[in-house]
Order: sequence, then structure tokens, then C-alpha cells
Amino acid sequence: MAEKKMKRCPVSFQPDIEEMLNAGSLSPEDFESASQTEKEEFIPDRQSVSYWKDAWRRLRRNVVAMVALGVIIFLVLFAFVGPLLVPYDYDQFNKGAENLHPYHYSLEDQQRLEAEVAARTQTGTKSVDEMIAEAQAEAEAKGEKLSTVDIAKIRAQAKVAQQNAQGGESEVDTETLRKELGIKKKLFGYSADELERKAAGEQVFPHVFGTDMYGRDILVRVMYGARVSMSVGICAALLVLLIGATYGAISGYCGGKVDAVMQRIVEIIYSVPEMLVVLLIATALKPILTEFVNTQTGPLRDFVSVLGPNLISLFIAFGMLYWVTMSRIIRGQVLQLKQQEYVTAARALGASGGRIIRRHLLPNCIGQIVVTTCLQIPSAIFLESFLSYLGVGVSAPLPSLGSMATDALSGMYTYTYRLIIPSLVLSIMILSFNLFGDGLRDALDPKLKK
Amino acid sequence: MGKYVIKRLCMALVTIFFVTCLTFLLMNAVPGSPWLSEKTPSEATLAALNAKYGLDQPVPVQLLKYLQNLLHGDFGVSLKMQKNRDVLSIILEMFPVSAKVGAIALCWAVLVGVPLGCLAAFKRGRLTDSFLRVVCTLGISMPSFVVASILLVVFAGGIQALKIFPTLFDPSQGWKTYVLPCFALGFYPMCYTARQTRSAMLDSLNQEYIKTARAKGLKNGRIIFKHALRNALIPVITYLGPQVAFTLCGGFVVESVFSIPGLGRYFVQSIQNRDYPVIMGTTIFLASFIILMNMAVDILYKIADPRINLTKGGE
Repeated sequence: MAEKKMKRCPVSFQPDIEEMLNAGSLSPEDFESASQTEKEEFIPDRQSVSYWKDAWRRLRRNVVAMVALGVIIFLVLFAFVGPLLVPYDYDQFNKGAENLHPYHYSLEDQQRLEAEVAARTQTGTKSVDEMIAEAQAEAEAKGEKLSTVDIAKIRAQAKVAQQNAQGGESEVDTETLRKELGIKKKLFGYSADELERKAAGEQVFPHVFGTDMYGRDILVRVMYGARVSMSVGICAALLVLLIGATYGAISGYCGGKVDAVMQRIVEIIYSVPEMLVVLLIATALKPILTEFVNTQTGPLRDFVSVLGPNLISLFIAFGMLYWVTMSRIIRGQVLQLKQQEYVTAARALGASGGRIIRRHLLPNCIGQIVVTTCLQIPSAIFLESFLSYLGVGVSAPLPSLGSMATDALSGMYTYTYRLIIPSLVLSIMILSFNLFGDGLRDALDPKLKK
Repeated sequence: MGKYVIKRLCMALVTIFFVTCLTFLLMNAVPGSPWLSEKTPSEATLAALNAKYGLDQPVPVQLLKYLQNLLHGDFGVSLKMQKNRDVLSIILEMFPVSAKVGAIALCWAVLVGVPLGCLAAFKRGRLTDSFLRVVCTLGISMPSFVVASILLVVFAGGIQALKIFPTLFDPSQGWKTYVLPCFALGFYPMCYTARQTRSAMLDSLNQEYIKTARAKGLKNGRIIFKHALRNALIPVITYLGPQVAFTLCGGFVVESVFSIPGLGRYFVQSIQNRDYPVIMGTTIFLASFIILMNMAVDILYKIADPRINLTKGGE
């Protein structure tokens, strides 16, 4: 029986099967190795772009996110390198430099002002002796003699008048006087002592943001506060990532009854009012960890004491409740991904569940993981400041931006900058993390890929 | 539907039980006792006090006893802050103050946030949108104490003309006293709602039925409020539940800044005083309230949009 040759339509796009079937019958001689020029000519049409390169390219185009990233980098430097540059310490009481404003008047200006004030109080009011002499002259004109009681009265009146003039006027007038004399505020706070040392040619580091009621430098305290906030934010986010990713991946991968039970637990924790419990956990853990540091030994103790029991209790409190969102997101992703062929292939090759999760599933939802972690940082910072504000967060003398704001409340009308500066730094920090996180989400979201 | 409500109620009860046990154990893990004050009482007095209030028993026994009393509606009596007063009566006295401030804050947050979100979505990409986006992102980046202290500085600072509103809470001054605390408390939820509404509205405005409405020649106002907003509101409603919780808890800070005699401030003080029954009472009360609110929102959600199948987790 002769093989029936298929008749092919000349315009058909169907590939010719015959040729393909014959492709295997080529002998090695039919091939020749590519020459060097041919190799060089072979340039890929489009450079292959990795996932991260592509995301970075898109992120770079987002101006807001890049500015936010710049601010974050600046704040990191501010918080971690800054304290090395400033010669003060966060719990150092600078004697004679209490309650400094973040501005100062130079020594010459102060002297000019004093001279002016002295001149003003002198003119217009006569001295006491003059007044007595006047009164005596008056009395003699009337043909009487001034009694000692009268003289004492005049003296007393003059004294009161002078005191009133000094007390009342100098309060109101220094401001206007400064304006009249053209004395301007100079940046940064210096104490009187430091100004003199500076005038003597010594290098004195200014109190850029002024000092608080104990003479502690606010700049350094803000730096340390920012450091605390950032470490809490980043460590808490990492802890959340660790717990949430593991839990979510296991729950999603195993499915069935395991998933059902794990999801019930998630639902319970999800509806626990976090703030209430975090407040309690942070309060309860702090003394326990402090005792642990004081009584135990070993590497774990060293680790805890380096970070400080305060911070660790905050991390744990945060990590214990906030992983739920992360685990839900990861679970959703894993549920989708585990249907993919490569997972089946891996399973057919005998890979264990743990390996599949670690090597195949988690790397494929890295975008979501990164975005969620990044957005977790500001919310951790938010919570930390909140707890510190209520007095259950980081405890003194270690400053936190939240506790600095609380401390400043009592004198907020006179020393507004003490309230404004930490609040501002805190808000900028959270804002830039939020904006960067938003940008990152846009960059990593595959739906937005064009 | 009935099955779903029952299931949710059971879950809520389990959650409240979980919170109760967790709080009890945590509370007992905190060193210190309610009897600590400037004058340390003698050993005998301490022992007598502990015995009187049952603090000498092991923690599990105490917990069981507490749960038993709780089932009978007995929250115990305060140990320190208002000595021997029934905790439930304290809660019922303080809660309305917090609830009033919180409710006003949430109301203005929604009433302002939703229209702002609509406006931003409608003017997408224009100056209004960018401006609102900056304001709202700033709003969700400022903790409530920052907002509260900025308000304090502005309204109680040097400028005489701005001293309209009292900066410390005083109910005798009528509505004026609520303005600053409610603004501070509602600012975050307002910005959050506006952001949520904006993204929901953007989704909704891209739908086919909006095109149909436009093709019919409807006016913009009608399209936005009748067609787009109704569908966009559903995701916004979901965030209301957690926001009730946030407003109540955010109340801790605002209450302490403005010295409002509310439950939040009392809760924080009770932790510092180790007044165990008050801690337990307020935690259980607030937690139950928040959990039930979340549940109510979920059920309302189902009623508002019959397309949602809650039994599948509603994700």
C-alpha cells in the first residue's frame, strides 16, 4: 500500500510535519560549528531583564517613591550615623544649658540689649536721692521740715515704682527692643557658658534643636528616638514576615483540614483588638525580659541586653498579632501557585513539602511579600510611638519620638519646638515609608506591567 | 444567612474567651501589685488584702473563678482606683463619654472622607487629586497625638483670636468642647476613608454600566452618587468595622491629651495601677464591643450586596 501523500494547500500556515519528522535523521556531518563572527553577530534583540531590574526601572520612574526613598536613606543616616557626629549623649545632662531654644543671640547682641535696657530704665525715672532733695526743697519752701517718716515713705514708693518699671517693662520690652536694635535670632542654641567658650575660640558643638528641661540635647534625643522607631519598625516587620510567611505558606500548601483549623485560629486573632492586647503584652513582657537579662547568662541574654528589653518586648508584642494579615496574603498566593505545573513537577521529582514551599512557592510570591513587609514598617512605627506616648513603650532614659512628645506636652506653649520636632520627624518617617511602600507596590504589581 | 450569623456569633464568643484568658494571664505576668503605693502596707495587711480579693490563689483557679463570675454578669470590684466600686458600673459610666466622642469623630470622618474620595476619583490626575492625595497620605502618617498636639498649639498658643475652642474637655461648655478632640480623633479615619473611597470609585468608574449611564445622558452628579458610589461604598463599609476599633483605641491618646474622662484613658491608667478587675473588665468590654461591631459590619455588608457569598470567607 503506497503511502498517501497529504496534499498541502500552498497558502496554509500549518507547519509541514514531514520535514519535522525527518529532522531527527540528520547526521552529525550536517552540522558545522558557528564561526567567531557569527557568534559575535548574534546579539539578542532585547536584553533580558530580570524581575528586580524591571521593578527597579519602574520604581525609578516614580518620582514620589524615589524622593521618599531619599528621605528614608537620609533618616537612616540621621538615626544611625548622626549620634556619632554629635558630641552629646542622649542621657547627658548639660549643666547650664537647660531649656535652650533652638536659636540664640550672639554675645555682642546680648550686651547691646542689656545696655539698652539699663539705659531705658535709668532715663525717665529720677533717682531716690533726687526725689528726696526735691521733696525737702518743697517742704522748706512751705516753711516746714521733712520728717524721717516722710523720707522713708518716699524711698519706699520710689523702690516699688522702680521694681514695677523693671519687672513690667523688661518682660514686654525685650522683644520690641530687639526689633528696634535690629538684633536677629541666630540659628542653633548655645548656653551662656558655651557662647563664652566659643568667643574664646574654642570649637563648640551647638544644640541644633535646643535642649530640654534637664539640659539634654534634643537633636541627639531625636536621633536616638528615630533609631528606636526604625529598629522597631524594621525588626517587627521582619518578625511579622517570618511568622506570617511560614504560617500562610503551610496553611495554603497543606489545605484541607490543616488549612481549616489554621484559618480558624487566624480568624480569632484577626478579630482580637490589637491595640488592647499589644498594650498588655508590652507591659507584661518588659519586666519579664528585664528580669531575664538580670538573672540569666548565655548568648540569648547578651542578645536581649544589646537590644534592650524594652525594644524586644515591643517586637514580640507586635509580631504576635500583626502576622495575620501577612499570612492571609501569602496563603492566598500559595493557593493559586500550588496548582501550577512546576509544583506538580517538583512533587513528581520527590521534593518534600518544605522544599517546595521554600524553593518554589515563596520565591514566586516575593513581590507581595516585599510590599506587605514594607507597608508593615510604618504601621509598626505608628504603634511604637503610640505605646511610648502612653508611657508603656520604650522606657526612660532611652528616648522615643512618642515619649518625647509626651514629655513636651507640659511646657508646650513656651517650648513648642520640643513637641513639634519629634512629631515632625515621626510623621515624615511614617510618610516616607508609606509613600515608598505605595511606589513599591505599583512597581512590583504584575497587573500593572505593560 | 441564619447559619452564617450563628457561626459568626460562635466565633465571636470564642474570640472573647480567648481575649479574656490571654488578658488574665498577661496581667498576672506583670510584676507589681495593686497594693503598691507610697506607704507599703505590712505583710499581714497584704496577706489579708490578697485573701479578701482572692489574689492568694493560684492563677488558673483565679481565672476559673473569674470566668464563672463573668458568666453571671459579675465583673468584680475595683481594687484601687475607685476602691470596692463595681467595675461594670464604672464602665457604664465612662463608656458613653468615649462613645460619644468616637461616634462624632467617625461620623465626620465618613461624611467628609467619602465625598473627598469621590472628588479625587472624579478629578483623577488633576491638581485636586494630587492635593487630596498628599493630604490623605499625610493624614494616615500622623499619629493622633501629633494631630492633637498641633491642634493644641494652634488653638491654645499665642494667637488670641484662635482661642475659640476649649483645649481641655469640659462638658459644661456644650458642643464647643467636642470640636478639637473629635477633629483629632477623626482625622486619620477621614483620610483612610478618602483613600479607600478613591480607589473603589476608580474601579467603579471604569465599569461598563457607567458608560451606559453616560450614554443615556445622565448628569455627572447622578452618575457619581447614584451609580458609581453605591457600588464603591461596599469595600468602604468593610473598613468601617476595623475603624470603629481604631477610633475607640485611638481614643486612648486623644482622651489623655484632652483629659476626657473616658474609658480609654481609664484603661491605660488601670494598667499602670495594676487594678486587675478594671483591666479585665475594660478589656473584655472593649474587645466584645469591637468584635461585635466587626461582625455587625460583615452582616450589613451581606445585606447591602447580595452578590457576596460570606460563607466562603468573604475574601
